[in-house]
Amino acid sequence: MSELPQEVLELDQKIIDFIRKGTDRKDDEGFNSLALEVFRLQFKSIPLYRRYCEKRGIKSEKISSWEEIPALPTDVFKVMELSMFPSQTVRTFMTSGTTKPEERGKVGYDEGGLRLMDATIEEAASSFLFPDGMKTKILIIAPSPEIAPHMIMAYGMNRLKERFGLPQSCFLVGREGFKVETLLKELRSSEEEDMPVTLCGGSFGFVNFFDYCREKELRFKLPPGSRTLDAGGFKGRSREVKREEFVRECEEALGIQKNYSVNLLGMTEISSQFYDSTLRNFHKGLHAEVAKINPPWTKTVVVDPESLKPLPGVETGLLKHYDLANRGHILAIQTDDLGRMTPEGFEVFGRSKESEAKGCSLTIDEMTRIEKGR
Amino acid sequence: MMENFELEAFYVPPGLRDRVKIARTLVYEDGATRILLKIPSIDRTLIQSLIHHLREKRGTYLADLPIETIVQVLDEASRRWLDKNYPLRKLALKTIPLITGFSPEVVEASIDAEMESSLREDMWRALSLEIGNPLYLNDFQYSPQLGGYSRAFGPELIVSIFSENIPALPHLLFMRSALVKSACLGKVARGEPTFAPLYLKTMEEIDPEMAECVAVLYWQGGEEEIEPFLFGQADAVVLFGGVETCRSLLEKIPRRVKTLVHGHRLGFGVIGRQRMRRQDLERLAEEVALDCSMFDQQACLAPHVYYLEKGGEVSPKEFCQAVAVAMERLNQRMPRGRITPHEASTIHQLRAAYEFRELNGEEVLVLTSPSGTDWTVVYEKDPGAFSPSPLNRFLRIYGVEDIFRILSSLKPIGPFLQNAAVAIGDKREKEFIGTLGELGVARITSPGKMSVPSMMWHHDGISPLASLVHWCDVEKKDEF
Repeated sequence: MSELPQEVLELDQKIIDFIRKGTDRKDDEGFNSLALEVFRLQFKSIPLYRRYCEKRGIKSEKISSWEEIPALPTDVFKVMELSMFPSQTVRTFMTSGTTKPEERGKVGYDEGGLRLMDATIEEAASSFLFPDGMKTKILIIAPSPEIAPHMIMAYGMNRLKERFGLPQSCFLVGREGFKVETLLKELRSSEEEDMPVTLCGGSFGFVNFFDYCREKELRFKLPPGSRTLDAGGFKGRSREVKREEFVRECEEALGIQKNYSVNLLGMTEISSQFYDSTLRNFHKGLHAEVAKINPPWTKTVVVDPESLKPLPGVETGLLKHYDLANRGHILAIQTDDLGRMTPEGFEVFGRSKESEAKGCSLTIDEMTRIEKGR
Repeated sequence: MMENFELEAFYVPPGLRDRVKIARTLVYEDGATRILLKIPSIDRTLIQSLIHHLREKRGTYLADLPIETIVQVLDEASRRWLDKNYPLRKLALKTIPLITGFSPEVVEASIDAEMESSLREDMWRALSLEIGNPLYLNDFQYSPQLGGYSRAFGPELIVSIFSENIPALPHLLFMRSALVKSACLGKVARGEPTFAPLYLKTMEEIDPEMAECVAVLYWQGGEEEIEPFLFGQADAVVLFGGVETCRSLLEKIPRRVKTLVHGHRLGFGVIGRQRMRRQDLERLAEEVALDCSMFDQQACLAPHVYYLEKGGEVSPKEFCQAVAVAMERLNQRMPRGRITPHEASTIHQLRAAYEFRELNGEEVLVLTSPSGTDWTVVYEKDPGAFSPSPLNRFLRIYGVEDIFRILSSLKPIGPFLQNAAVAIGDKREKEFIGTLGELGVARITSPGKMSVPSMMWHHDGISPLASLVHWCDVEKKDEF
C-alpha cells in the first residue's frame, strides 16, 4: 500500500495540532481555515462529492466559510463508498440498526483518518470523561474490536482502554455474549479494594444490567471517582430510559455519584465524539446547563427539516455536524437526529421516533418488521 | 382576526348527551384558526349505559326499519356532504386540515371522492352483490335456490376502532353497520377525530332515531381498562389499523365475537409497453401523479411503486419526467400537507441516496419539487424487491423488461397487497390480472382511479357486509 500523499499528511498534522490544543478554547478562524482546506481536498479527491457540490452551484475555490460546505446525508453511506482514498482504506466501520448488510452505512478510514480519530478520542475523553486526570480500570460493556471489527464504538472504547485504562481493563461482551459474572467480580473487587472504576459501553447494555441487578437484588457502592460513560441509545434492545432516570439508576445500582454519569453522542459517519458536559462542569465548579459540547474542531448547526436551511435561535430541527477529523471521508454530515442548540452546546433528542402511521398504508417500519418475519 | 371553532371529538345519541363530561380540551392553532376540541371523560359506567342505550334503540327502531328507508337516510347524508354550502362540510374543511396537516384541497377532494361513491345506487349495488336480495335484511324471503326461506341478520352491536387520519373514511363503517341494521360504537383516531362525529350529526339531522343507535368516542389507544371491556360487550368488532395495533387489539377480543380486520396494506401500479405512447403521455402521467397525491399517499389505496415496462414508444425515464411535471402541477392545485420532521428527514435522506447513485452513473433518476419535500419521483430499474415508499408523495418508479418479472417481488408481500392500477393494453392483461388476484391483490383499477374505489368493492378482499351478517334458512316451504 502506498503512503498517503504529502499534502494529506501535512493537512492531517495541522488538524492534529489543532485538536491537541485541547477543548477549552475557541478558535473559529482556525476552524474555518482548516475546514476549507479539508473541503477543497475532498472536493478535489472525491469525484461523486464534487459533482454533488457542483450540482448545487458550489465551487471549492469560491466559498469562504465552513457554513457553505454542502453536507452529506448519512444514508448516502448506505449506497456509496465515499472515502478520499478507497484503495488506502485500512478500517471500515458500519452502522447498526438493520440486519441487511447492504443497508448498513459504511465508512472507510485510511491510516491518517484513524490517527485523527485517535487524537479526538484522547483529547475529548481527557476533557470530558477524565477531567480529574484519574486513571482507573475501564470495564467495557461492548465487544472488543477483534470481535466487532466494524463497530466504531468498539474501536473508540479500545482507544480509551489503551490510553486511560489501568492494566486489568477489559471488554465484557465476548463471542458468547455478555460476561455478567466477570463484571460482578470486577465490581466487587473495586468495592473491596477501594479502587474506582470506569464503566462504559452501549446505553442499552447498562439498562439491561440494571434490570439484572434489580432482579437479583444486587447493589454496588463503587468508590468515589467511579464513573460511567454510555453511548448509542437503546435501539429497542432494552427499556427506553430518560436521562435523569438513567443517572438515578447508575446511582442506585452502582453507587455512581450524580455528576459522574457521562453520555456521549457518537456516529459511524463522524470521527469525533460529542460528550455531555456533566463531569467536566462538576470538576471545574461550573454551574452551566448540561449539554453536548462541540470540541473546537467540530461545529453543529440545527436545520429546518423541510428546507435544510439553518434555523435561528433554539428552534428544534435536524442536526448537521462539521468535523475536521472527517478528513478521510466527508467533513459535513446531515443527520436525521432531532435536536436544538443550547447556550453551551447542543441537545439531541435522538432520531425522531418511528412516526406513528397516519394513514392506512403500510409503512417502511412495518415492512421491515414483516421482512424480519415478525 | 382569529377564527374560533369548538368541536367535539365524540358523538353520543341525543338521549344520553347530558351524561358526557368533558375531560379536557385540546387546542389546535395556526395563524388564522383556533380549534378547541373537547375530549370526553370515559369510564365503564358511561360505556355501560351507552351500550345499553344503543342496543335498546337498535332493537326498538333500527332492527325493524326497512332497508329502503335506511338507504334513503344514508343517501341523503352523502348528498348533504356533497353540497358545497352544507354547514358541517364547511366546518370540516376549516378544521380537518389544521388537525391532520392535510391541505384543505386534499380534504375537500377526499370528502368528494368518498361521498360520491356512497350514494343510493352504490348502496343497492353493494347490497345486491353481497347479500343477493337486499330484502333478506327485512324479512324472510323465498329463495328458489334453497327451496325455502332465508333471512340475514346483522349483529346487534358493532364496535369499531379507527386508527388512521384519512378524512371521510370512518363514515363507511357507520354506513355498513346501518345497512345491516346494527348499532355501532366507534373510536375515532387521534390523528383525525372530528369527521365521524360530524357525520353522525348529519344522520341525526335526517333521522334522529337512527342516530340513537350510533356513537363515537375518543380515548387513548391501547387503553387497558376500556378496550377489553368494550370488546367483551360487542357482537362484532371491525378494526382499522397498523399491523401491530391490530395484533395487540385482537388479543383483547373474545373468541365468540365476530372480527373483521382492515390492516395496513399497500398499492402499486403497472403500465405495459403498449400504453407507453406519446399521445397518451401527458394524461397518463397526470393520472399516475393523482394516484400518488391523493390523501398525500397515506391511504392503503395509494401506490408506493409504479412499474413501467420498457420497449414502448416512450421510455420509462421520459415517462418519469412527465410524471414530475404533473406532480408539480398537482401540488400547485392541491398542495401536499404538513409532515413531521422525521418524515421530511426520511425523504431528504432517501433522495440523497438516489442522487448519489445517479451521480455514479447508475440507471437512476431523481426528480424533486423545486423546494422542500413536496414531491419526489425516483426512477431505477426494478431492483427485484418491493421497497415501500416513505409516502407523502414520494413515488418510486421501477423500469422492467417484462411486466411478468415483477411477480416474484410481489409474492412475498401478497397478504399486504391492496390496490393495483393496471394498464397493459394487450392480450397479456387478462393473464396478468389473474396472477395479481391470486397473489392477494384486492382491487384492480386504471391509473388515476386508485383512490376512488366504489362502495361495492370487496374492501381489503373481504365482503364487508356479508361478513357481518349471519343467515337463518328455513327449509320447510309448505308451512312457512
